[in-house]
Parts: sequence; C-alpha cells; structure tokens
Amino acid sequence: MQKKKCVAMLLAGGKGSRLHSLTKNLAKPAVPFGGKYRIIDFPLSNCTNSGIHTVGVLTQYQPLLLNSYIGIGSAWDLDRKDGGVTVLPPYSESSEVKWYSGTASAIFQNLNYLDQYNPEYVLILSGDHIYKMNYESMLNYHIEKSADVTISVIEVPWEETNRFGIMNTDSELRITEFEEKPDIAKNNLASMGIYIFKWNVLREYLIRDDQNPDSSHDFGKDIIPLLIQENMNLFAYPFKGYWKDVGTVQSLWEANMDLLDKECELNLFDHSWRIYSVNPNQPPQYICPEGEVSESLVNEGCKIEGEVSRTVVFQGVTVKKGAVIKETVIMPDAVIGHNCVIEKAIVSPGVYVPDGTIIKPDESENDITLVSEETIGELQSN
Amino acid sequence: MNKQLLGVIDATTVHDDLHELSIHRSVAAIPFGGRYRLIDFILSNMVNSGIQSVAIFPKFQYRSLMDHLGSGRNWDLNRKRDGLFFFPAPNLDKHYTGIGTLDHFADNIDFFERAAQEYALIANSYTVFNMDFQPLLDWHIKSGCDITEVHKEGKSLGMYLVKKTLLMDLITTRNETGYSNMRDVASDHDSQFHLCYYNFEGYASMVDTIDQYFKTSMDLLKPEVWKELFPKDRPILTKVKDEPPTRYDNDASVRNSMVANGGMIEGTVENSIIARGVKIGKGTVIRNCIIMQKTQIKENCQLDSVIVDKDVRIEAGTVITAPAESPAVIRKGTVQGVGSRS
Repeated sequence: MQKKKCVAMLLAGGKGSRLHSLTKNLAKPAVPFGGKYRIIDFPLSNCTNSGIHTVGVLTQYQPLLLNSYIGIGSAWDLDRKDGGVTVLPPYSESSEVKWYSGTASAIFQNLNYLDQYNPEYVLILSGDHIYKMNYESMLNYHIEKSADVTISVIEVPWEETNRFGIMNTDSELRITEFEEKPDIAKNNLASMGIYIFKWNVLREYLIRDDQNPDSSHDFGKDIIPLLIQENMNLFAYPFKGYWKDVGTVQSLWEANMDLLDKECELNLFDHSWRIYSVNPNQPPQYICPEGEVSESLVNEGCKIEGEVSRTVVFQGVTVKKGAVIKETVIMPDAVIGHNCVIEKAIVSPGVYVPDGTIIKPDESENDITLVSEETIGELQSN
Repeated sequence: MNKQLLGVIDATTVHDDLHELSIHRSVAAIPFGGRYRLIDFILSNMVNSGIQSVAIFPKFQYRSLMDHLGSGRNWDLNRKRDGLFFFPAPNLDKHYTGIGTLDHFADNIDFFERAAQEYALIANSYTVFNMDFQPLLDWHIKSGCDITEVHKEGKSLGMYLVKKTLLMDLITTRNETGYSNMRDVASDHDSQFHLCYYNFEGYASMVDTIDQYFKTSMDLLKPEVWKELFPKDRPILTKVKDEPPTRYDNDASVRNSMVANGGMIEGTVENSIIARGVKIGKGTVIRNCIIMQKTQIKENCQLDSVIVDKDVRIEAGTVITAPAESPAVIRKGTVQGVGSRS
C-alpha cells in the first residue's frame, strides 16, 4: 500500500446529550445543520478540500444512521481505491471488547488501522464543530515548526474562557501550559480539538497511556498534559474564521441563524471550498401563490404555502397556508400545519406540527423551543 | 424480476424550433424544471421501473449529455453487470429519421445480441412524464402484442415496446422491409405484426418546440402536475450538485415559483422556474420566466415571458419583455443590457 503522508481520524462517537431529543436516535455529528447538511459534512469536506483522502471515522453512539450516511464516502469524493473513508466502530477481540472510553482510547483501539498506512502525520478531528479550515496549511505549519504536536486554537471571548481548554504559549506559540476550563485564564486561546501528531510520537504516547491505570484516556485530560510535562514540542496553530461548537440547542440555533447574515464568515456559497453532503433527490422548492419567504435559507423539496422569515428550512418540509414562521430551524420532512405560529424554535426532523399550534418563547426567558415528537403534545396544551 | 426490460433511449432527435436552446447541446440535454435535463424523465422512469440496462443513442452535440450522465452513478446505473451504455452515431452523414432508427441500432447490433433482457423499450429523450413501465409490459404480454406504441389521448408518445428478438429481426431485415424506424413499424397496418396501442393516462408532454418547452415548464407550477411528476417513491433522478440551500434576502418576494438550490434572491419572482445557482438582484422583477443555471440578473431589471439560458449576465436596469404566447429566448453565455445588444 502506498505510504500516506497524513491520515485523518475523525471522532464521531459523541452522544451530545445537551441536544436533548435531537440526539436520542442520532449521534451528534449526524445532527442536521444549515438547511441541507449534517455537522460531520464540515470536517469531511475540509478533509477533501485539504487534499486528505484517507479518513478513519470512529463511531460508537447510535451508529446506524451515521454509518449509512457516510456509506463509501462518495458524497465527499472519499470513495478511493487506496485509502478513502473507513468507518471504525468499536470491536471485540478474542480477549476483550474494545469499547471506546475516551478520545485517546478510541484512537488506540484503532492503531492497526493507522499501522497499515504508516503515515508521517496523523490529524485528529472531532465531528461536532462547524467550521471551514485548510488542514494542509496547518500541516505545513506543523512541519515548519518541527512540532511533535500542533493544536489548532481560536481566540474566544475572555468571559467564556472557563468553558474551554486554554493553551498558554510563549511568544513563538510554543505551548507551555494547558488548562482545562480555568476559573481565571491567563490566555484566551482555546483548543479547537484539532491535533496534528507525528505518527511515531502519537503511537508511543497512546501505548503508554493505555498502560496507565490512572488515565481517563483522553487527549485533553491525559495525553496533551503529559506531552507538555515531558517537554515535547507542542505548538499552537492560531485559526481565524468561523468556528462553532453546536453542542446545545441554543448554539445549534444560533449557528443556523448566523448563516442568514450575509456577512457571515461561514460562506456556504464559496465554490472554491464547497461543503459536500449526501444530496437527496428532491425537486426544486415550490413557493405557492400564498407563500412568502424572506431572509431565509430554503432547501429543495420544500413546499411553502405560509409566511417564512429569518428561518432555515431543510429538504422536504411543508409549511401550510396561514402558518407564520420566524427565526426558526425546520429540520427535514417536518410538516407545519395550517395557521401555526412558530418563533425561535428548532423543529425536529419529520415532526408533524398540528394546525393552529402556537409556539412562542416566554417573554422573560430567551430560550429556544425544541419541537419534537415528545414535546409537541405538551407544547400544544400550553 | 422475471420479466426483464432493456431500456433504449433515442437521443438523436433534432427539432428546428428548439434551435435556440440546442445550439450547443442535444435536445435530450436541454435543462428543464430548475435542476433537470429533459433526458432525466425517461431515464428515471426506466430505472424506477426496474430497468437495469439502458442504452443511449445520441448523434449531435452530445458532450453535455455525456457530462450529465457520467458513469450513470446518479441513476444507480454504474454496474458491473448491465448499467449505462453510450452509442454515439458512428457516421454523422447518415440521415436518421423518427424515434428508434434501425440503422443506428444496426451499427451496434452486438449490444442487442449480448443483452440478456427479453424485451426492449425504445423511447425518445424529450418527454416530460412519470410512468411505470411494468404495467405496460404486463399488458403487452397479456394482450399478445408484437409491438406496443405508447399513446396519450390518441397521439403517439414515441415509445415502443417489443421483444428483443423481434427488434433484432427488424434491424437485420430493414433493407427488405423498408422500415427505417420504430414509428414506421408501428404505423404499418398491413404488416403481419400484432400492433397495439397502450394509453398512458397521466401527465405527459413532448417538448419539441420553444412554445411547448415554455408551456410544459409553466405546467410545473400547477400543484397537480408537480405532484404527479415528482412523487416521493418515484423520484426523477438527476446529476447532483453540491449547492447550498437558496438564500432569500429580506427584500425578496417570491410567489408561485419553483426555485432550485444555490440561488441568491433579492428581487421579486412570480410564476417562474429558477434553476440552480441563479442570482437575482434588488429591485428586479421576474415574471413568467425560466431562468437557467448560474445566470445572474443584476438590480432593477424587468423580465417577462423570457427563457434565459445558462450563464447569462443581465446588466442592471435591463428590460426584456415578450408576449406570453411567444416567449423570448436569451442565448447561453451572453451578456444583456448596458454595453451589449441583444
């Protein structure tokens, strides 16, 4: 097999419990986003656009949909004879079942996958962030710095530093300290959970970590601090651009709303960095004589008879006559009944919202309502 | 499936009246319905009817058709066994007439010899419809027909069902019989064949003139036609493009229109079909139009009853209107308005 320069490992096992019922039957990377995408389309498209054509996708939680969605990877041009995309679920060996207990253990359990390619570098990604990034530039930076590990970082607002893993660096951007969710941060450079390792370094530390009974087998908690402690060459790679962790209903809604802003840094219309997706075969959207759409993103296969503004509408959605939808995300194949009023909500895939349902946020709270099969009855009785 | 059908699509047809749209492409490849090409309808119908082997017989300007069909992957026809076959006419000087030219088939007779399917469906490439061919095949067999021509309200739809062995006989004996195409065979009532006519009751429109193209496009805006052409369980398949959802600006006003993905709409659109990746500027009013892929229409334009081909740029303030009964056609890749003459 041809030697690979860089192989990507995409951690896609996340449950994403703060997304509530959206991830009941769905791993977080498979959550729909932006009118036609799933979150995992972003890292997968980034790989293809960056010239990385060998990608291992580690799945664990609710893998069926994710596995069938990824398929042979043709949607991202990752159906290759040599390399391409490989779905890597946990598996059992004669002696034990290799369940993934942490991010590092997930990679460790798949050392044989990496061994067969024997790459020079390994890129580790998580499948739950929305961003466009050229990993090749990061790899070049990693090579230039002769780093053992390069960690991509982004400047976050100072008041939010306690939510992130913060990297403290010297003037050369060498990482001197890693603080997980510090109360008082010395820095506002947050780890984006994107790492490039020299393969031999990664291999050695994963094996050592596996033998350490006190380890939680996590990159952020265990591997990275140990590397710093042992004075390895760690560098921060500053990323500028749109990056969002869509881990909560609120942030998922916000990220969708961001797309409605014309000046949004995350330009989906840029043909030089397309976000690829499994394209369902749907006819163009049909805006009826009574329909009205403004400041919105609407996907194919929709039928709009009502009024839609500042809303992201996924494929196959029907909005019936008299319905008024504002600042909402309507996921695939949902049906909004006649004369419904919906504001500041996320409507789950396939949900039928009965005629006349009114969903508005409480004046006092600014919460986003999650409309799902489970909550629809409750919402109506209110 | 036990009763197997071979799909044969005649894509050689040239219609003088469609010239404006077919200068650089075959009629089969004319964009239609915002994201399709005319051939998608017959091809998808074949695939949805369980046909796994489809042969395309093109003649002129077939580059865009080949580009569109590719390996056949979008129709699930990229197969090790059967799949999509492409047989361009080996000789452009040979004159073909009608649907299913036996001369053209004769040049590729080995394909028919090798095909394992017992029956063949020979069809034109420019009919907009959604039809299941299995009931047609069942009816053909039950009625003991030799040749079945599909009809709509008494008129031929240019589609023929025949046993493959009989088709091969027709090909090899064409010089003695004088039959040059399938229509000749199906309309010779003095022949020894049992000729049948199968009436298709659904929506079907053969797009052979600009007027018919315009009318058929506008039919898509009738919910009953839309529903019939695009049912969820029998989708019309096409080459997929990775376009984002269409973005509507806060000044946008869109009514009674079909809009494909990748568009940016800031103006007013009524009774129109907007293809993928179209930009419509502020203050622009589009009525009763068909706008093809990647066309840009700048601010404050007015278009009524216009068919705008692909990659056209219409400069700000341009007014182009035509009577509904004879729509204007703007050629592919041109610039209209300021500094240009249309």
